[in-house]
Amino acid sequence: MANIGEYVYPGDVVKNVKSIKGITIIGPGLRQNEENPNTLCISQAGKLCFREPNTYWIEGKRHRYIPKKGDLVLGVVAKKAGDSLKVDIGSAEFAALPMLAFEGATKKQKPDVQVGDVIYARLLSAHREMEPELICVDSYFKAGRLGVLPNDGFLINISLNLTQRLLDIKDPLLPTLGKKFPYEIVLGVNGRMWLNAKQRKDILTLLRCIEAAEAD
Amino acid sequence: MENKKQAVLSKGILEMKFMKKTKEKVQKEMEDAEGQAMYSSEITNEMRRNGNLVFIETSITSCKNLIDGRLSFGGMNPEIEKMMANDYFRLLEVEEKRKEKDITDIEMAEGYSSLVNTMGKKFTCSKDKQVKQSKAKHRLKKESFY
Repeated sequence: MANIGEYVYPGDVVKNVKSIKGITIIGPGLRQNEENPNTLCISQAGKLCFREPNTYWIEGKRHRYIPKKGDLVLGVVAKKAGDSLKVDIGSAEFAALPMLAFEGATKKQKPDVQVGDVIYARLLSAHREMEPELICVDSYFKAGRLGVLPNDGFLINISLNLTQRLLDIKDPLLPTLGKKFPYEIVLGVNGRMWLNAKQRKDILTLLRCIEAAEAD
Repeated sequence: MENKKQAVLSKGILEMKFMKKTKEKVQKEMEDAEGQAMYSSEITNEMRRNGNLVFIETSITSCKNLIDGRLSFGGMNPEIEKMMANDYFRLLEVEEKRKEKDITDIEMAEGYSSLVNTMGKKFTCSKDKQVKQSKAKHRLKKESFY
């Protein structure tokens, strides 16, 4: 038996699952309990969280990134394979990014992407059995914020928990730093961060701030 | 009523050329009825086993309402900041308003300490009170003297 807000372990069962019209949304660390289908089984140690009206998830200290559809991730181009790029997003397998998934790309006019470039992309599909697929345009075929990042930034690996904390609108760190230094940051939910500022000194200071945030 | 009439139609009539549409309809109905009869027992078993809740898996982004990760501050990348004006800064404003509504930590501490005092008074016996009061009066006098 597991209650909301408590620390739970794999194998615990969540009973009295709330739903709307028979639909419940579950995040990482949970799966349907096969023995009693209207309950949830926990598959990861962590805090059981719930958000009104029908969303459940586990907040643990997971370090491995598991791709999920719709995630915005940062990846490094590892290979060029014909019409498709292989991108390292930190998951078990490289993700595929078709050359045509960039804004304004056609078969004749392909985007200029080199091996080693950093790419900010959205996960189009992610299944256990298939390689994840990335896309760099939204549903209107516009790039928006997605695409190849400039060459003069720095890519840093941080923990998944810290990225989630920084991406929360309630977190004051990024806007507070923004009042002090002009800087650009890209955070991927796969635990990667790309950082650029005007001066080298500023970059070091920002890095130290984020390292300090990681510690607590 | 119509169904009953159609069911009564004999094979011979259905074979006629102008009854083609009706024939198809009748056949479909018969097949549906057969199918339901065949699967009715299995469906109920399956349903009993599966329960009635549907679980949809989603990423942590939508669970925690995380924002888009590409941000720029202080005019580093004007293009991104233009896009941020539509969502990020609006969300930030909403968040700040929510904060203002809440009771600040200092107010909470003050309110709580006054509560502690009033509760504390209840438990001090009358003798202590008198002593304290006299002390307080004494202090008052001193202060006024200065």
